[in-house]
Amino acid sequence: MSRNGWMVWLTFAIGMLLSVSPLPQFMEILRPLWLALLLAFWALALPHKVGMVTAWCLGLAEDVLYGTLLGQNALILTLITFLVLSLQQRLRMFPMWQQSLVILVIFGLAQLVQLWLSALTGNRQPTLALVLPALVSALLWPWVSFGLRGLRRRFKIN
Amino acid sequence: MGVRLLVLVVLSVALMVVDARFTLLKPVRSQMSLVLMQSYWITDLPQRLWQGVASQFGSRTELVAENEKLQTENLLLQGRMQKLAALTEQNVRLRELLNSSALVNEKVEVAELIGMDPNPFTHRIIINKGERDGVVLGQPVLDARGLMGQVVELMPYTSRVLLLTDTTHSIPVQVNRNGLRAIASGTGNPERLELRHVADTADIKEGDLLVSSGLGQRFPAGYPVATVKEVIHDSGQPFAIVRAVPTAALNRSRYLLLVFSDNRTAEERANDAAQAQEAQDQQGGAVTPVVPATVPKPVVPATPAAATAPAAPAAAPATPAAATPVKPVAHPAPVKPAVTRPAAPKPPAAAPASTGGRE
Repeated sequence: MSRNGWMVWLTFAIGMLLSVSPLPQFMEILRPLWLALLLAFWALALPHKVGMVTAWCLGLAEDVLYGTLLGQNALILTLITFLVLSLQQRLRMFPMWQQSLVILVIFGLAQLVQLWLSALTGNRQPTLALVLPALVSALLWPWVSFGLRGLRRRFKIN
Repeated sequence: MGVRLLVLVVLSVALMVVDARFTLLKPVRSQMSLVLMQSYWITDLPQRLWQGVASQFGSRTELVAENEKLQTENLLLQGRMQKLAALTEQNVRLRELLNSSALVNEKVEVAELIGMDPNPFTHRIIINKGERDGVVLGQPVLDARGLMGQVVELMPYTSRVLLLTDTTHSIPVQVNRNGLRAIASGTGNPERLELRHVADTADIKEGDLLVSSGLGQRFPAGYPVATVKEVIHDSGQPFAIVRAVPTAALNRSRYLLLVFSDNRTAEERANDAAQAQEAQDQQGGAVTPVVPATVPKPVVPATPAAATAPAAPAAAPATPAAATPVKPVAHPAPVKPAVTRPAAPKPPAAAPASTGGRE
């Protein structure tokens, strides 16, 4: 059965803290999508354990944290996990830079959906700068991936 | 997998619609926030620890200097307060002469900022006072220098405050110098507000102080909001472009003031005032000389009434009515829970303009 499953949840908790931690004004716009990154990694590593339902629950938590409509971030994270899961076989074969590229595209799409949803609720962001977090996340992907892989090996999470 | 996606997507959309239109999910949200909002507190912890350490190791000279500075400031403020007491009294008397309603006193409570909204496109902050502390939706928030914003989301022990500079926020203001009314809208820039639809010929100039006019019935009147920074007259534009800088330190203040003011609506206030006036008039019919308006506190005519009581019994029933204060609105307002309020018409300008209707 699953061993050390709590480690996965611990990483999610840390990701949640990172996603609300205060940043300087100019870096706010570059804040990576921590929860999405973690979800992408765990969905690739433990697809039998971390799936769309996990993503949805985490998304709800993020909605409460951000004060957005309940279900908005849940939808986004579910979509991201779905895309990652459906590309799972290929992503595992890819070298790191190619994985980053795919992550960039997936997250970029998710941010566009985010833009539409927030436009529907009346808080339209004036610029396309909200694709920047996707870029930063894609650049962070190799490090997150290496780090979490080390963690997984160390604690033999499966 | 596709079925699961479909179910979750439909569920999310349904949740979003329900959350946007009804208040059904509010309890769920507040229960979840009870746990989740701790993360703001945790991320704020390093800074708090640092402050604690810094205050532990503050040198004596620094403390003495700070103490001196605070004492000087206190002295200055006390001096100004003395003047203020006299002015307030005078104001009340003049208002009584004009037969207009008295000013309501506001109570304030200190709250502390515990987090910023992570979304860089909105200007919202999170404070450490919530529903259990008596905070209500739409409550005005100040800092030491001026208005900051209003409460838009209540959670049990925290609440979210929309700042003046958010793009979805507008506040009715007036120029302190001449009472010119305008609406100041947020621009998304923490250092700038814009006055909308100000006529090209309006008397407004650089350096004017804008104070809240209280017309939206959400913010109390008379608090400083912004100072005008530039007025641009462009003949190609139908209105003047007026830019102002908020007086409050919107992105620096850590300690905020929550204003608890009269919770009654304008109609209730007017009704109460009218009833008080009526009672006064009735009593005025019985006893001809009404209590002179220039007297700050009503002189209870108990002694003359008691003296004439055996002679004129008609004057006796007037005594209890005369004992009510002359100031019609001075008695404490009945505190009404915020839940009963949404039925009241929403103030058009002061409410955040989000079309979703959730606040």
